[in-house]
Amino acid sequence: MGLTLSQRRRLVPWMFAIPGLLWLILFFAIPLANQAQVSLLSGDPEAGYTLTWAFDTYTHAIADYKEQFLRSFLYAGAATAIDLVIAFPLAYFMAYKAGRWRNLMLLLVVLPFFMSYVLRTVAWQLILADNGWVVERLRDVGLVSEGGRVLATGPAVVAGIAYNFLPFMVLPLYVALERIDRRFVEAATDLYASHATAFRKVTLPLAIPGIFAGSLLVFIPACGDFINAALLGTSRQYMIGNVVQSKFLNVLDYPTAAALSFILMTVILIGIVIYSRLLGTRNLTEAAT
Amino acid sequence: MPELDPERVGAELDRLLSQQRLSRRRFLGRGAAAALAAGGLGAVLSACGIDGTAARNLAQLQREADRIHHPSVELGDWTFANWPLYIDKRVIRAFDARYGGHCRYVEEINDNNDFYGKVRQQLQQGVPIGRDIVVLTDYMAARWVRFGYVTPVDRRNVPNLDNLAPNLRSVAYDPRRQFAIPYQSGAIGLGYDITQTGGELKSVRDFFDPRWKGRVTMLADPYDCATTVLLGDGVDASRASLDQVLGAIERVSEANDAGQFRRFTGNDYTTDLTKGNVALAMAYSGDLVQLQSDNPNLRFSYPEEGAMLFTDNMLMPAKVEHPYAAETMMNYLYEPEVAAVVCAWVNYISPVEGIRPLLERSDPDIASNELIFPPDDVRRKLYTYPSFSTRQEQEMNEAMAKVTGA
Repeated sequence: MGLTLSQRRRLVPWMFAIPGLLWLILFFAIPLANQAQVSLLSGDPEAGYTLTWAFDTYTHAIADYKEQFLRSFLYAGAATAIDLVIAFPLAYFMAYKAGRWRNLMLLLVVLPFFMSYVLRTVAWQLILADNGWVVERLRDVGLVSEGGRVLATGPAVVAGIAYNFLPFMVLPLYVALERIDRRFVEAATDLYASHATAFRKVTLPLAIPGIFAGSLLVFIPACGDFINAALLGTSRQYMIGNVVQSKFLNVLDYPTAAALSFILMTVILIGIVIYSRLLGTRNLTEAAT
Repeated sequence: MPELDPERVGAELDRLLSQQRLSRRRFLGRGAAAALAAGGLGAVLSACGIDGTAARNLAQLQREADRIHHPSVELGDWTFANWPLYIDKRVIRAFDARYGGHCRYVEEINDNNDFYGKVRQQLQQGVPIGRDIVVLTDYMAARWVRFGYVTPVDRRNVPNLDNLAPNLRSVAYDPRRQFAIPYQSGAIGLGYDITQTGGELKSVRDFFDPRWKGRVTMLADPYDCATTVLLGDGVDASRASLDQVLGAIERVSEANDAGQFRRFTGNDYTTDLTKGNVALAMAYSGDLVQLQSDNPNLRFSYPEEGAMLFTDNMLMPAKVEHPYAAETMMNYLYEPEVAAVVCAWVNYISPVEGIRPLLERSDPDIASNELIFPPDDVRRKLYTYPSFSTRQEQEMNEAMAKVTGA
């Protein structure tokens, strides 16, 4: 038709984006709009739910479930911190020291993904059983009190989350560390920086995009997780995901379930904005290219 | 608006539907459109709100059931949705060999509520759900009947239903067994490890005994848990009022606050029990039969105050596509020889009469197992679930969810 060459050139990237955009509209935007609408309905399963713009569902949801919200952020935050502490040295080793073992180590990191998430978590139920070998040894060294238990406690849930999401932290960190130009570090040491200083002033700042990506990849799904709390915890460890599941499937209170999901999403979004400001990652995209 | 005679409207609708059978079939052929509609997209685009479900009442459904006629046809490819490990697969193969067609047997129901969540939108929109038999526990079967999400069974195609055990021939939600045909039953009672308890337990009171503080699991479903507590108080749980059930939930809540219960569980109490994490679990009889074969120290007892009896039922969903195949299977499963094979494999209580003599010859251990064939004095004290309206059910589930922390 009447398009000039340059106009067509400008259109091409958009054409490439179409499949992704369609996907996003169909499976993200529309369900999201649907759930936003559901959260404003009121009624009951028998009479049906009608749109009444019932914003008070949100205030009630917060009032009733603030405990589970706080617990979700606490557990997810703790798991993210634990993963960072474990994953950083691991990724560092893989990127710089592993040599020919590197590919094998990468494989080992993603290997658990070959098994179903629920099964992996159930396996921890067996490992952490009260009279199992692991807990007996922990009792021997005094980390668990006599008659105490690991399963069905908060730490078990946090550990489960940290375990299940570890690869999401390792992989972005590995990529970020691996692409750092080692000559920067050499230059720093040539200029009489100690290894520690070079790490602090060069490696760590350049790894921030990886830390940021890894933290988000762990923290966000962990906030909404319900498998770990259901299998490794008790009702006293339930997170907001358990409440959403119960509201949707057992109680059939769809509006509250939808409202809880939106509150969670909003809080996480706000948290991420603050976090990115704190890390100074406004130039994240530049750093990543 | 002119007055409408519901009878006439119904007859008129039937006539329209039979005339338009061709167009309906063509509509179904457009699977993608149906799938899209079922996927909830239709709901977004077409309507604001979620429709109520009390569309048809029992009397209406029963009138429909009296008129139902499913002619004998070739079985074709049809689908049987059941719980995992709930049939000896040889039964399915033998069925195909005898009646032709192909039964696609899927073990996809892990939880009544999850499964309901999966097919709810299709049922609400009146679209076939692609399964010809679904197996649902009493309270969920009751909900489907209440909502009119079922197709009545043409009992002429299921003559073997005469073998149905007398105590199951009528339930509150389906007094004449026109919609929900019992598949297997089980009792709720005390599952425990006798080496941990140091003796036999046989009362509902034991769940609240401070000796087992923190070493008891309770079932999270109020239909299982609150009703059992009520039996312990001498209340006929089958006729319990909502207030009585809420009272029982309150008692469970108090004990929970005092640290009596380790967890509230679904079927997953089995891990805690076999691993010795708990001394006592509120348990399903059939599970214990299977667990005992691995660990002979595990025991199950029917509470002396009485036990809840749950039944899983075969239902044909609304808009079922292969009703004759489904009914042929139901009839087949009610042949005592077939029922004996199923029972010997799944170890729950069979609803089919006359299988015990068969099992005495083939599997004497099973024939003498009290968990599979409860003795008469126990049988007299088995109670079915109470029936509640949707609103009452929601109130009950909400109260229980508060206790279980969700």
